[in-house]
Amino acid sequence: MFARLSGQPVPGKDENIPFLVTFGKDGKTSWGDADFYQIFFFSILKDFTQPIYIRVFDPDCGGEYDEIQDEFNTKTKFSVYGGKGVDPEKNEESRGLLKGLNYKSGNLLASKIFGNDAKYDNKYYTFGPFNPSEGDFNTRWNSYIFKIVCEGISGDDGNLYRYFLSSDPDNNIPIEGANAFTYAYHFRMWNDFKSVSHIYPYIDTGIVYIRQSNFDWDNDGNILVVSRYKQGVSVPISNEDNWIFSKIPIEPAEVKSSLDFQFHKRQDELVKNNNVVITLENQRGDAVKFFSSPIGGVPVYQPKVGYEKVKPKK
Amino acid sequence: MVKRILNIITFVLIVLLVSFQTKAQQPSVYEVKRMSFSSNGFSDISPVIVKDGIMFCSNRRFSGITDRTAFDGRRLYNIYLAEKKDTSAFRKPRILKSERSDKFNNGPLCLAPDGKTVYFTSEVETGEITTEKNFKNHNGIFIADLSGTDLISLRPFKYNNPQYEVGQPSVSKDGKYLFFASDMPGGQGGSDLYYCELINGEWAPPVNLGPKVNSSGIENYPYIHPSGRLYFSSNRPGGIGNLDVYYTSFNNGSWEDPVLLPKPINSTSDDFAFVAEDNLQTGYFSSNRRIEDNIYKFTSTIIRKASCDTLVDNNYCFRFFEENAVKYDTMPFRYEWKFGDGNNATGPVVEHCFSGPGTYLVQLDVVNLVTKEVTYNEKTETLVLTEIEQPYISAPDKIATGQRIKLNADSTNLPGWKIARYYWNFGDETIAIGKNVDKSYTKSGTYNIQLIVSAEPEPGGVVKYACVSKNIIVFRQP
Repeated sequence: MFARLSGQPVPGKDENIPFLVTFGKDGKTSWGDADFYQIFFFSILKDFTQPIYIRVFDPDCGGEYDEIQDEFNTKTKFSVYGGKGVDPEKNEESRGLLKGLNYKSGNLLASKIFGNDAKYDNKYYTFGPFNPSEGDFNTRWNSYIFKIVCEGISGDDGNLYRYFLSSDPDNNIPIEGANAFTYAYHFRMWNDFKSVSHIYPYIDTGIVYIRQSNFDWDNDGNILVVSRYKQGVSVPISNEDNWIFSKIPIEPAEVKSSLDFQFHKRQDELVKNNNVVITLENQRGDAVKFFSSPIGGVPVYQPKVGYEKVKPKK
Repeated sequence: MVKRILNIITFVLIVLLVSFQTKAQQPSVYEVKRMSFSSNGFSDISPVIVKDGIMFCSNRRFSGITDRTAFDGRRLYNIYLAEKKDTSAFRKPRILKSERSDKFNNGPLCLAPDGKTVYFTSEVETGEITTEKNFKNHNGIFIADLSGTDLISLRPFKYNNPQYEVGQPSVSKDGKYLFFASDMPGGQGGSDLYYCELINGEWAPPVNLGPKVNSSGIENYPYIHPSGRLYFSSNRPGGIGNLDVYYTSFNNGSWEDPVLLPKPINSTSDDFAFVAEDNLQTGYFSSNRRIEDNIYKFTSTIIRKASCDTLVDNNYCFRFFEENAVKYDTMPFRYEWKFGDGNNATGPVVEHCFSGPGTYLVQLDVVNLVTKEVTYNEKTETLVLTEIEQPYISAPDKIATGQRIKLNADSTNLPGWKIARYYWNFGDETIAIGKNVDKSYTKSGTYNIQLIVSAEPEPGGVVKYACVSKNIIVFRQP
């Protein structure tokens, strides 16, 4: 499924998202984080047998990039899980969408808590090495699945960070055929008018429509859904500290391909440091995955003009 | 003297030529010919076209020894079948016998759509004995099953009545309507035409066809053609002879004014019992134009194509749409169309009429209302518009009776054709030849005009033709 993909920066290159964001649990949801944790999954093809590393850029909460509230007092915990219970297709709790359920399922392989620590500011911290077989094997994808959970365990600041799945502990070396995905995307919007961020949900077999939920968008521009068959369907966006929902019908031809959710910034007034959350579920209520590298590539709209004869108006 | 003779010859030649040209301008519509099996000395009437030949009625001898007669001494009519020998010749007619053959007149008749049920006219018995000299049994309709050359299982039609005439049946192609003639009380006078509708397997009470069809004179010998035209005979004023053949059609809830068939089907004598093949090009009728009743075959010289395309107006109007855009109402885009003829329109769905044939490059520019970006020529389509290849009838859709109109075929578009002839069939048994013709209708109704265009013969003698038709409504001039 991911055979032609390589490179697992999270957020992905095509997503053009500056940072993931997780606030300390004492933060306010109006600042852009609905639940103070974020879960990502990495998949590594069974054929890849070399050690893997999960690198976290700017894991601390202080210094550059991070969002301060009065003073930096936040501790963020990054935990890597493997083994049984991790694969979210087999274990729904692992997706982390249902509060109170154990999204930390699986074997804890590594964990580290970061505070306001200049040592890790604007730098990478590397988890690993991990043997790929330590992941939870998914037969459909023929891949091992790892999970990384970021929790804001204390404080109220916003930790902005990125991941890279690498075959090297000190450099970002992509792993052929690997990918990363999540079910709830918490991220930072750009602080300029022009930059457009994207996320790429994968439309699996059987999906007839998707229900999108977005949180705390602060009316910052427009969300357009693009595919080969959608030039740009407008999706309603949320305001400060609230959720908004809408349905997007799926054409049969869109199944087994990715949609492109485009986030266009508001043009009349620059909204800065905007942190947002978006989730998708299908008509059955099952969460839909967002892949860092869009499955099938970035969808490009294919215009289709039709015409037919009509009776002349007399 | 010689000069005078030459002048006379020249004059005669001119007269002959003018006469010939006049005839060529108004070609005869029908040719008629007496059928070979129609006998001398006997009366042969009421032909019916059947699969194997023609059924008809005749008072000819059906036995070499005896000559069956009615009580008044007149020879009895019986039903005969003249089977086809080949495409033009018929075998000697054979009688279709029934239990009534020896005692009563049998016929006219018709065959039901099943090809096995025969409806025929015959006398209704009163069951009473009379010594009245001029006594005559009235006719009724009888129904029988055809078994070989026998008519079996006879049963009377439920509306037979010994007090009046009921006869000359004709069943419609779908078997749902039985037309017949009767002088039953309550008609328009004389013999009238009636029909019964088959409802739940029973013939509903007779319905008089009304004053448009039935006059105060005689209407008889109805024949419902598969096309729906009802042919019949009438001695109403305005005909050519005594009984003449007319036809009418049921349109928009009423019978149209009857149309008199031209000579030589109608003559100064009695012409009646008309039947025709499906294409109306050939058929049969009875006439006493040679004193005796005989059966005649007619062949129409009018060309009328059974298969003829309906005229299609050239139309250069189109609806353009961005197929995916029309599915969603939350698309923040503006669609700007350029039609390649200098005209533009905006919207996900637009309509435009081009002025005529040509090649047009239709372009779609899309403005993203979120980013304000414009995608020029996001999609282009080349439209090649041509006139429809067909003969073309230029004529009004509606005219009044008596109104003379001009019809033309100037817009005919048949590329590569060397057109030899434009032939117009006006749908009222009249024709004209030429690219531009005149026409008026005397009767109101809906007429189907056919324009048949034929090309110069191709090598090998093949002549190709094309046909279009158009309906024209003729309303009565107030």
